[in-house]
Amino acid sequence: MRPRPDAPAGLALALAMAAAALPAAADTGFVTCQNGDALSVLDLVTGEERARWSVPGKPAGVAVVPDGDVFVVSPGSKQVRRYSTAGEVLAETRLDGGPIGVAVDPARGRIFVSDWYNARLWVLSSETLETLATLPADAAPAGLAVSPDGAWLAAAERDADAVRIYHTETLTVARVVGVGTRPFGLGFAPDGRLFVGNVGSNDVTVLDAPLGEVLATLPVGDRPYGVGFAAGRAFVTNQYASTVTVFDLGDLSALATIDVGEYPEGIAATGDGHVAVANWFDNSLSLIDARTLEVTATYETCDGPRAFGAFILPGNPPGVLP
Amino acid sequence: MNRRTLLMTGAAAALLPGAALAHGPTRQKLTTSVEVAAEPADVWAVIGDFQDMSWHPAVVSQTGEGGNEIDATRVLYLSDQGDAGPKIAEVLYKYDASKMTYSYRITDVAVEVLPVTNYSSHLTVTARDGGGSVVEWRGAFYRGYPNNDPPPELSDEAALEAVGGVYKAGLDALVERFGAPAS
Repeated sequence: MRPRPDAPAGLALALAMAAAALPAAADTGFVTCQNGDALSVLDLVTGEERARWSVPGKPAGVAVVPDGDVFVVSPGSKQVRRYSTAGEVLAETRLDGGPIGVAVDPARGRIFVSDWYNARLWVLSSETLETLATLPADAAPAGLAVSPDGAWLAAAERDADAVRIYHTETLTVARVVGVGTRPFGLGFAPDGRLFVGNVGSNDVTVLDAPLGEVLATLPVGDRPYGVGFAAGRAFVTNQYASTVTVFDLGDLSALATIDVGEYPEGIAATGDGHVAVANWFDNSLSLIDARTLEVTATYETCDGPRAFGAFILPGNPPGVLP
Repeated sequence: MNRRTLLMTGAAAALLPGAALAHGPTRQKLTTSVEVAAEPADVWAVIGDFQDMSWHPAVVSQTGEGGNEIDATRVLYLSDQGDAGPKIAEVLYKYDASKMTYSYRITDVAVEVLPVTNYSSHLTVTARDGGGSVVEWRGAFYRGYPNNDPPPELSDEAALEAVGGVYKAGLDALVERFGAPAS
């Protein structure tokens, strides 16, 4: 993440011990609400809305990193902002184009933003949000994700029916892979495979991103949007069907179709074995137990939650606990 | 719709081959409902047939295939010009008579007719507390202009206003037909 002076080792140890002594902190959802020009900060255990930020410009894309930076893209006003978890704007920029999706490369202090209208990605400094580079893409790049090992960036190119894979280190194009029709959202499984939701063909393409190989094509519900992973399973939101399709990550068999709210969109895993799903039409967030595959809670959000990206901050970020 | 708008949309469309291209960045949503005096079954009998939208004052005639089965289609003609005039093509994707609800999408409409893209909608009848029915019509859609920086007549606001007008006209006609609940 952004460069920081090293904290004294004794302080870091004390903080770690304090955290270890406390009960596990709840994960926090940072849910972008496009219609409401807002962001709901939700305690994902109690459902309490700890804060509701005013975020002008129709926010959609979001990426939260474990050290607490919250990156939000507002396509309506073409702005990208970096917030603290307390809602303070730490940096802000306006991009000339159609910014929509966002992903973070913490190791290199960069964020990536897709330009929906101009077939390119921006590379921004995660500290200042100044533009460092632009990368070529094909038509209508939307969802972005960085691989768990940090080596690869994937971009869904909606109107090219393709996914483009970049080297995060060199910012060069490694692969372009044809997928289903109109890919929009995507995500890397913990094992590094890439899952891509194809809005137009109602299926998910599973890819080996570094090799550029299609491993499988899995039928899902109507208008798949986002992909999340928990308990050895993949979860896909189906916008028109108001469902989530669940796959086993081992043999890719379909395990269940779960009813959620209307127009489910952004989806991400919590640290305690749930996935959270933003229901855009209903202004709610469904929590699914990843093992029992039941909806265990439904929380209220601001108007038009999209949560398009990695919207959950772990309660116990890596490195804090021993 | 005035001539300038028609020309402008024509020019925009010429730059955009194919219908599946990018849409606006912000999906819009709208929920409109009315209360009527008739019981739900009586209201559903009038509006629950995907192949008969004659209850809406803007619909002059229609054709369709597939009845109320999933993937049934219909084309709504909005003038006495039939296929040569303004029209909206739609497909049914959910139908549940027991819950008195159906869901459909627009598969083809000129933005001069309705300035939206990627439109989906539900029409639902429920019982009203104290008697009568509640009819709810809700839609999700993008503005008519798929590219950045839309002209005002194809903006998010224009899309909301146009769909709101369609819903209001239809629901007002139901109040006129069935009457408002007494209390």
